[in-house]
Parts: sequence; C-alpha cells; structure tokens
Amino acid sequence: MQTIGVVGMEGAMGSFELFAIDFLQALMAGLMVGGTYALMCVGLGMIFGVMRVVNFAQGDFLMLGMYGAFYVATTLGVLALLGPYAGPVVAGLLAGPIVFVIAWLLHRFLIGRVTGVAALGAEGEGHYAQIILTLGIALVLQNGGLILFGSLPLSIPTPMSRESWEIWEILVNQARTVRFAVAILVAALLYLFLSRTRLGKSMRAAADNPQAALYMGIDVDRCHRTAFALGCAITGIAGGLIASSQSFQPYIGFDFVITMYAGVVLGGLGSILGAFWGGMTIGLVQQMSTLVLPFQLQNTAIFVVFLLIVFLRPHGMFGRSVERT
Amino acid sequence: MLQIASLEVAYGGLRALDRVSIAVGQGQFVAVVGPNGAGKTTLFRAISGTVRPVGGSILYEGNDLAAVPAAQRPHLGIAHVPEGRQVFPSLSVLENLEMGAYTAAGRARWQQSLELILHLFPVLAERRRQAAGTLSGGEQQMLAIGRGLASAPKLLMLDEPSMGLAPTVADMIFERIEQIHRDHGLTVLLVEQRVAEALESCDLGYVLETGRVVMQGTHETLMADQRVKTAYLGL
Amino acid sequence: MRQSRSLARDLAAIGAIAAAFMVVLLLTESGYYRLILTLVVIWATLGLAWNMLSGYGGLISFGHAAFFGLGAYTVTLAMVKLDITPWIGIPLGALVGMAAGLLIGVPTFRLRGHYFGLAMLAYPLAMLYVFEWLGYQEIALPMKREHPAAWMQFSDQRVYTLLGLGLMVLAMLASLAIERTRFGMALQAIKQNEAAAEAAGIDTWRWKMPAIVLSAGFAAAAGGLYAVVLLTVTPQSVFGVLVSAQALIVCLFGGVGILWGPVIGAAVLVPLAEILNGELGHIIPGIQGVVYGLAIIIIILLAPEGLFWRLRDRFFPVRPQVPDAPAAAPQAAGRDAGRLAATRKPLLVLKGVSRSFGGLRAVDNVSLTVEEGTVHGIIGPNGAGKTTLFNIVNGFLAPNSGSISFDGKDIVGQKPSRICRAGMGRTFQIVRAFPRMTVLQNVTSGALVATRHDSEAEALALWAIDLVGLGRAEAGQTASGLTMRQLRLLELARALASRPKLLLLDEILAGLGHAELEEVIEAIRRIAASGITVLIIEHTMHAMVRLAERFSVLDHGALIADGPPAEVTRNPQVIEAYLGRKWVQRAADRVA
Repeated sequence: MQTIGVVGMEGAMGSFELFAIDFLQALMAGLMVGGTYALMCVGLGMIFGVMRVVNFAQGDFLMLGMYGAFYVATTLGVLALLGPYAGPVVAGLLAGPIVFVIAWLLHRFLIGRVTGVAALGAEGEGHYAQIILTLGIALVLQNGGLILFGSLPLSIPTPMSRESWEIWEILVNQARTVRFAVAILVAALLYLFLSRTRLGKSMRAAADNPQAALYMGIDVDRCHRTAFALGCAITGIAGGLIASSQSFQPYIGFDFVITMYAGVVLGGLGSILGAFWGGMTIGLVQQMSTLVLPFQLQNTAIFVVFLLIVFLRPHGMFGRSVERT
Repeated sequence: MLQIASLEVAYGGLRALDRVSIAVGQGQFVAVVGPNGAGKTTLFRAISGTVRPVGGSILYEGNDLAAVPAAQRPHLGIAHVPEGRQVFPSLSVLENLEMGAYTAAGRARWQQSLELILHLFPVLAERRRQAAGTLSGGEQQMLAIGRGLASAPKLLMLDEPSMGLAPTVADMIFERIEQIHRDHGLTVLLVEQRVAEALESCDLGYVLETGRVVMQGTHETLMADQRVKTAYLGL
Repeated sequence: MRQSRSLARDLAAIGAIAAAFMVVLLLTESGYYRLILTLVVIWATLGLAWNMLSGYGGLISFGHAAFFGLGAYTVTLAMVKLDITPWIGIPLGALVGMAAGLLIGVPTFRLRGHYFGLAMLAYPLAMLYVFEWLGYQEIALPMKREHPAAWMQFSDQRVYTLLGLGLMVLAMLASLAIERTRFGMALQAIKQNEAAAEAAGIDTWRWKMPAIVLSAGFAAAAGGLYAVVLLTVTPQSVFGVLVSAQALIVCLFGGVGILWGPVIGAAVLVPLAEILNGELGHIIPGIQGVVYGLAIIIIILLAPEGLFWRLRDRFFPVRPQVPDAPAAAPQAAGRDAGRLAATRKPLLVLKGVSRSFGGLRAVDNVSLTVEEGTVHGIIGPNGAGKTTLFNIVNGFLAPNSGSISFDGKDIVGQKPSRICRAGMGRTFQIVRAFPRMTVLQNVTSGALVATRHDSEAEALALWAIDLVGLGRAEAGQTASGLTMRQLRLLELARALASRPKLLLLDEILAGLGHAELEEVIEAIRRIAASGITVLIIEHTMHAMVRLAERFSVLDHGALIADGPPAEVTRNPQVIEAYLGRKWVQRAADRVA
C-alpha cells in the first residue's frame, strides 16, 4: 500500500498514536469505573463519617445489592418488563431499598448494641467491638449468601455491557457510562439530602458532636441507624448496577473492601465528598496502572496506593482528624 | 418550674452531687456558683438526662424527669447551652441554629426566634454561612446561646458561658444573657465560676462546694458573705 | 509478675493439655478425625501467635494471614524449587515470618487505631494478588517415595498431630514467658493506655517490635506446618481473609490476653466447623464461615473478652492474697526533705514556656522554679492551662518557645518515657488500673522502669504501697471494684514505684469525700517527707492551702502570682481571676 519510507514514518507515528489512544482509553475507563467506585465509597464514607465505624461487611452489602438486583430483574421480571437497557438500571436502583431494610435490621438488633450512644463512654476495647462485630457479620453474610444463592456465578444479561460507543477511536463502554451517570445522580441526591433536609442536617450534627446533638433533642441512635442503612443501600445500588457487567458470586464482596477503604481513606476519613473523589481516583489508578503493570496486578496497585496514603497522609485529601482519643 | 430535691449523682465511687436541692421559679434568674469540681456541670447533665442520678428527684413543671429519656427533654422546653460551647463545627452558623430549632416548639417559632437571635447577636448574621468551627470563642458562645434560644425554650440553662473567654467578651455575653432574661421573661439557670458576674443579675443564688449546697440567698447577701470567698480561696 | 499463679501449676496445666490431646489422639481411629485434631493444634498455634501481638498488646491485627501465608509458601517453594525438607523449611519459614514482622512493624506501628487495623488487612491481600500473579495458583508438595520421614511425610496422620502439638506447646511456653515477665506487663500497660505507659517510663517501641516479630514467627511456623499437612497451597487458602479472621476469632472466642484462650477457642470452634462442614457441607456450603461468623457475633455481644474470662469470673473468682514479702525502700530514701528544702536547689526550672494551639494561647510565657524537697502547687480557674503545662513538662507536648530544665538538664523534646527514667513521675486524672490484676501487680508495673529484676520491682512496689497507706490486704485485692480512695492511692503508689525525684500529681484529690481527702493528703505529706519533690495541680484550694508551701497561679495561660499561700490568696489579681473583677471592685467599694 505505501512505500517503505512512508510506512516507516507512519509506523513510528502510529505507535505514539497508539499509546495516546491506550492512554486515553485507560483514562476514560478509569473515569467510568471510578464513577462506580465513587458510589461505593460514598456509601462507606457515609457510615464512617457519621458513625465512626469501620464496617468490614461493606463489601457484602455490595454483594447483596448484586443479588438483589438480579432477583428483581429476573424473578420479579423487571428485565422482561423494561427491556435489556432500562431494566438492569432500574433493577440496580431497586436493590437499594432491599439492602436498606437488611442493613437497618442488622443495626437495630446487632450493631446498634455496640456503637453510637452505647459506645460513647467505652474505652479501649470498646471501639474494637464494632469492627469485630462487622467482621462476624461479613462472614455470616458471605457464607450465608453461599448457602442461599449457591456458588454458581450469576450476572444480569444485558447487551449494554458489551456494547460501546466510539468517540474518536476510544471505546466507551455503555454500561459503565450509564453507571457513571447514575453514580453522579445518586451522589448528588445524597448531597442534597445531607445539606438541605432536616434529617440530613441532624445526621451531620450527630456526627460532629453526639453529646451536643442529644442536647438539641436529636435522636442520635436513630441518626446512626439511618446513616448505616443509607450507606449500605448506596453501596448496594453500586453493586446492583455492576451486576449487569460482571459475574458475581457470594464471596465477591471482599474483592472490593480494600478498594472501598482505599478510596475513603484517600478522600479523607470523615468526608463524604472526599469519599467520592477518592473512589474516582482509585478507579483511575486501577485502570491507568494497566498501562505499566500486568493486568493481574491492578489491584495490587490499589493496595500500594492505599498503604502509601495511610503512611504519608492519613488525613487524605479532604479529611478531618477523626481519630478517637 | 424546676424543683431539684436531694439530688445525688455518683460516678463510680466518686460522689459528684450530695443531696443537692435547688428551686427555680418561673421567670426567675438563678445562678449556681462554685469552684472547679463542685459539681456544677454534673448538675446540668442530670437535668439534661445524660447522667442518671442515684438518689433524689428532678421535677420539671411538676413532672418527674426520671421517666423522660435524654433526647426527649429538649422537647419539653429545656434548652442546654453546654460547657465549652460544643457547636457543630462543620455545620454553618445558620445550620447550627436550625439544629437548635429541632424541637416542635422551635420549628413553630423559627422565624421569630431567628430574628431575635440575629438582633441580639448581629455578628452571627454576618457570619451566617460560615462553618461554625471557624468562629472565635466569643462568637461560638453567642452561637451556642442562640442555638439554645432557637428551641423556643421555657428554661434556658447555661453552663459556664465565660469559660475560656477574655474578660471583656465574657462581660458582653453576660450582658446579653441579662437582656434575654429581662426583655423576654425567660427562666434562666446559670452556672458559673466567675462569681461576681453570675451573682450580679440573678434573683437567687446557690453556692456549691464539693457536691453540696453550702449557701443560698439573694445576690446581695451572697456577695457580702465572706463564706463565698472562702469556698473559692480556702482561707 | 503473676503472683496469683504459680509457675509449676501453669506448666502442669500445659502438660495436662498436651496429655489430653495425646489421649484423644490415641482414641481416634479415622484419618478424618486425626486431621481435625491436627487442624485444632495448628489454628490454636496461630491464635496464640495472634494473641502475642493483639491479645497482650492490644494492637488488633486483621492481617496475620500475611505471616501464615509466607510460612506456608516458604516451606512449599523451598521443597518444590530448592529441594529443602520441611524440617528445615518450617524454621526457615518462621525466620521469613519474623523478618516480615519486622518490616511490617516498623512503618505500621506509627499508625493509630483504625488505620493500623486497616493497614494490617491490606498486607495479606496484596500478597495474595502478587502470588497469584506469580503463577502460584496452586502448588502441591511433591510426594517423596524414599525416606519420606526425612521430608516430613508420614503415612500415620498422628505424627502430624504430634508435630503440631509440639509447636502449640512451644507457643504456649512462649506466651507463658511473656505473661510472667515484664514483657507482658509492658504490653498490658501499652494496651491499657499507651500514653500513660510512656509516662511511666515504658519505651513502647522497644516492646512492640519484639511482640510482632515473635507473633509473626509463630504464625509463619503454623502456616508452614499447614502446608505440609494439606499438601497443597493456594493463595486464597493461606493469605485469604478467613485465615486472618480465624486467628482473631479463635482467640477472642476462647479468651483474649491469656494463653488458654486460643487453645479453648480452637478446641471448640475447629471441630465444630469441620464436622458441620463434613456432615452438612454438601447441603449447606460455607457452613464453616457461618460458624465462625456467628461465634464471633455471639461472643462480642455476650462475653466480649472471651469464654475463659467469663467462665473464670463466674466459677473461679480470684481470692485476694495478702502479700507478705518485705518491702525494700529505695536506696536514696535516706534523704531528708527538710535538709533538701533548706538547700533551695532548683529541681525543675521553666523559663518563658509558651504553647499555642491554633490561635489560642494555652500557655503564655510561664516561668517558674520548683525547689527540691518542696511541695509546689499549680492552681487556676478552669481552662487556665494547668494540664497543658503538665503535659509540656512531662514530654507529651513540645513548647513553642522557652526552656525546661530538670535536675540541671534540658528536657525539651525528650520522650515522656525518657523523662520518666530521668526521675519524673506522674499520676493521671483518669486512673486506668489493670482490672484483672491485683493492686500490687498494678503498682509493680510502675516499678519496672527503676529496676532490673522482677523481684526487685515487687519489693519496690511494696514500699510504695506501704508509704501511701494502702494496707497489705488491700494490696492483694484485684483492681476492679476498688473505691475512689483506693484507686487514687494505687495511682500514687504506681507513680512512686518508679523512684522519682519529682512527682507530678494531676488533680489527685478531685471528688474525694472529706475523710478520704485527709488520707490522701497525709499520704502526700509522707511522700514529701521522704525527700520527693511534689508538683501538684488541684482545684480544691482548701487542700492545696494545707499541702503546698508555694503556689503558682495560672490564668488564661499566664502566671499571675507565685509565692506562699497566704500571700497568693490575698493577691487581688488572683481574687479577680477566681471571683471576677466586680468582686474586687465591690470589695474596694465597701472599704471605701
């Protein structure tokens, strides 16, 4: 087709162009993936921000969201009703309330007993009780999930996860883009909730100063319960949305726990906005790391970033000092 | 309005309040003074419900408060302006005041309360959108008092409002408190370390020392009595 | 340190446990049950290892799988790639584990609370991904036909159990050694309150590092044996979260902070999980995880410290023993306070010390001198900066400007433990006693810094207890359930036991009733008479006036008066600080 010289030059330019495309591709993927991670992290960030609880079971609420969405889509027929494009998204959103109820009940009967007002006066081992309790809950949820749902990997069938739009030469995965949009929407709604509604403000007040909140007549325990359930529900929605892009099984939760914590810590423990940006950044790190690292090590890149943040700047980007004295 | 009878509070083996009896009548300004560790903050905590007494009773408008959980008490009209201000640092000034109006009574009278508060403390109007954590000590104290007023209370309890404030700022705060009492007939229970300031405007005063009431009377009698000085300076 | 348990009894108990295992072993017929027994001792060892760092030291690790996995892979790869027998491989694995413990400990110990736990969680997961990437999805240990014993391969399962038992007994002995020596006591103090431990002269770093190294070594050894027993290793099975969780759960369930705990936990949970898995595993997969999850939920809600403690408190409450050993007064006790005071030698000199927090000036250009052999009081209204000043003198805070010299040496910037070793002791407002130890043991923890041998420490502790006026019978009581007076005297004795030259008392009289106040004041008088200089912060003027020969009055961070009580309390500035300006005005008006 071309003479050698021109092929040579085109070849040389081609490789830079190829790299640029790879770079932009990774960047785009990072943003889109980041959107979903951001949503997950916002859920976790909310729980930590309001309750100061390290929730090990967060990944398992993600998993519950996936299964919730799956059952809504298939057994409840939402997929059949709304078609393969709107169906999975709606199913994902509907997973939210399901997870909300489960989380609410768990807090009411288990977690609330060792956190919140009950733990205000606890010294030393007191606050480890919360973390360890959530570890127990995580184990029960994971393995209970195995019993209930079986180990066969599932996924919500939809063509969206395979189809991409093409912008210039960059492929933008449709499902991821939709998730990104939903993530932004949910995050925006949460922001409005926290900054405009009375309940949202009282939750922030309870997080800032539980004692003073009590003096205002705010039911601090109920705030914590709502925050916990809401945080889990948001993460559940993220899971519900991912359910159409990848196959999942009951143990999948733990794959995401460190990702979520990395995002929340990066953004600054205690800041929900920070959790959002932290999640985005983690998504970017993960995808961009494939440019230089082998594919299987992308999660290790996250861990390395996580450890670096924890050591060098534990307050993260937006964090306030949240250490218990 | 508030009848505290033989109240006893203990933290572990530590007797913080020992058969304390205090009465606050409607529309009165009552001051409780005493040196550090006398039990003043414990008294407030018992009234607010964050600490359970082991003996005695607290009657508010005739009802025994023991049956009322802490989160409910503000809804009865008891506003507690805590020691050390305790504002919500990441919420704005306006949002802090909104939190004060969390009760039903507060919400009903929100517009009027807000006007009153901003009139009393104009600097809060200036800083209404600022995060409360960025305010100075004096401004935070004003905010805390405003927050207490926002609940449209029947009883306003102030715990050491002068603590950590420069004397001139503390003076201004006391003036405002007096103003609130005078102009609106609000019942005020004030606990303070600064005896003279506290006793100046009160109708009735009590002196607490190591958990016991050692003296009570009008502000004239207390100011003139050497025992008050002894309670503080030990001589 | 453990006066209430004799060494012989503990060793006998360990022997009995080992014997019991061996009896059960002899009675088992099927390989299945023998495997379960082997797993019990392996997980018990891992639990014991976890206990060494997290149970005794309070540094909760969620990532012990890191060490377990490294041990397993060391043994496996050594055998597969380098043809090294597990007899060497397991000790090698333990060394690798210890090195990992060192490398992980150095950076991670700088983290506090949640961050420490989260970081520990990340390490094994990172390793998991790395090993998967390296291609070690599943490695099997090769079968050795010739001389299988040399390769730790036995046809009789029971040999593995015995090996595991040996490892467990080793771990138990190590735990016992920790519990019975100052190592354990230092870890306990760090667990209770790291800051207070520092102030008591315990160099926390020096104890945390050996704890993690020892813990990692045993965890890795357990992992190595695990690989040998199961013959295949996958990243998930040795680095996975369930491994870290099991280490934790076995310990918390059985009893945290005591060597019997992990053994009990493993003995109950492992067979339960394995048998349920065996019976129901095909109907209810994942039953193991559910068992562990439920176990930990139930324990946290009902018996947060573990079965052992709950059972012991219920059925075998510890009876107080009266210690009758002789007290040994410290060498320098011959000093006469009167003589010292007469020399007026300055012991603690502050010059221009200031400290701000943000815009707030907490301590404002404070200069004062505390003379040797005196009782010096610091007083001031709430928020005047007294405790901040103490924290600066003690080494917890650095001043923004100014100098502090103690016994002629500049101490600004030194760690509290070092300042303590130089002769400054301190009491804390909130007394954190070790609830399960006796008063004597609590006080002995303060004596560690001043003595080399544990027996010396105890004798010193007894001297301190006698001096403050606690009875010998009281000394034998456990510290939970003490009255306020006893707690305060305990705290005083603990601070004394470090043989300080200067004793900082932080509101030790707060909230005491009349009679109790008298006692504690007397105790302080006796301490001062024995030659120790006392610097005391107090609220109650009454008491201070009777104790202190000299006062410094702080207000808004600045020194407003300094001198003998009579002078200071008549100082108009002081009166103003306490009672308000208008009081002074009125007093002036009345006079006029």
